[in-house]
Amino acid sequence: MMDLFSELFDMFEGMDMFSPQTVVQKDNRVCPVCGHTWSDFLRSGKFGCGECYKTFRAGAEQVIKQTQSNSVHAGKIPSKSSADIKAKRRLEELRKQLKDAVNKEDYESAAKLHAEIKAMEGKGIK
Amino acid sequence: MIWYNDLNDGIVISTRIRLARNLDKTPFPAALGDKQRAEVTAKLHAAVLESNSALAVEFERYELDNIARNKKISMLEEHLISPQMVDGKGHSVLVNKSRNMSIMFMEEDHIRLQVIMGGYCVDEAFDMADKVDDVLEESLTYAFDERFGYLTACPTNAGTGLRASVMMHLPALEITGNITRVLQSVSGIGVAVRGLYGEGTNAEGCLYQISNQITTGLSEKEIIQKLKSVIERVSEMEKQARNILAKKHKAEIEDKLYRSYGILKYARSVTSAEAKAMLSDVMLGQNMGIIKCDGKMTPLELIIKTAPAVIMSDGKLSPEERDTARAELIRSNI
Repeated sequence: MMDLFSELFDMFEGMDMFSPQTVVQKDNRVCPVCGHTWSDFLRSGKFGCGECYKTFRAGAEQVIKQTQSNSVHAGKIPSKSSADIKAKRRLEELRKQLKDAVNKEDYESAAKLHAEIKAMEGKGIK
Repeated sequence: MIWYNDLNDGIVISTRIRLARNLDKTPFPAALGDKQRAEVTAKLHAAVLESNSALAVEFERYELDNIARNKKISMLEEHLISPQMVDGKGHSVLVNKSRNMSIMFMEEDHIRLQVIMGGYCVDEAFDMADKVDDVLEESLTYAFDERFGYLTACPTNAGTGLRASVMMHLPALEITGNITRVLQSVSGIGVAVRGLYGEGTNAEGCLYQISNQITTGLSEKEIIQKLKSVIERVSEMEKQARNILAKKHKAEIEDKLYRSYGILKYARSVTSAEAKAMLSDVMLGQNMGIIKCDGKMTPLELIIKTAPAVIMSDGKLSPEERDTARAELIRSNI
């Protein structure tokens, strides 16, 4: 058999897509929900189900970091999702506001924010 | 009113919001066999329609496998379904009475909720999609992760699952030779530029879809705000280019646009590419107050109605017959 396409594939190798140098290569796990493997993802660029993101967490994180500016979700949360996520978000937001208030030397708001943060932390929210 | 009949500004043609959602613990559509796919679809329909009386009254359900191709094509031209859903199997869609919202099932993701409106109204369209998303979520458990957000088949949609996109008509930037530079500068900042029917389609008729590329790491409001600032800048540049054409090249531009209008009014055979380019000229002529069309359809409506797939849908025509049919449709409606 003549090897007609090896040159073509060599050409793709240098491309910075989901190439070997940048993305987790080996992961032998199989997703328990859809049966997909990490190499299925490398081949198609698509996950088989939501559980894949958890099964291949490290790889998913790398891919999202590469294609998006940031890999941490900052948008809407389904109302059914635990109140916990919402409380954590709120706490992060309050900490951001506290920093801003201190920078602006708005100590009155800072004190209020500080109290609110302490109260949330007191309830075990991190 | 169908979005393409609702023009106001003439530069921003339409606004579209799409939210991608999937069910928890269920393989995505591509990983489902025919039988499983039908089961998941039934589950989705039941959850959406039976438990939400408001939605059941408002939406009509279409099983695309049982619908004639030409009907599907006209849903595609209204952007109520995606190109993949025309010839694929096992797709269904719910469309609301005002035909500005569609809930597509079993596209790349289990649910793609979409709002499309004429003109420039990103906030309004997003609020509408967001509200219905809340209603759907009452009866479904979405695949969601604290860190990754809403989980989607393609990681480029994960996070918010939000694609906000605006269709713009940018002929003056093309005529003045500035379009490439403008679009290049835009795509460097996390914004994607595509053709009329989305991914993989060409920007014919000077129609461009500009959408957010980043879906995670920013809130929905921040994504929309960023996109809006890009749209407004591009829109301003198009306006400037139109002003320059009107002030410095009046005779040339009038001649160019009227020539296109003349050809479309009398030609007996028009190819798809010709039709798009010339209808785009007529649209520009109308918006610049140069040409007054008094036909039954707007130039934009004719661009949509004369696309090869749409013309084809009336029967099996050869390419020559299609060009003749296209010319006739334009002639009698422009």
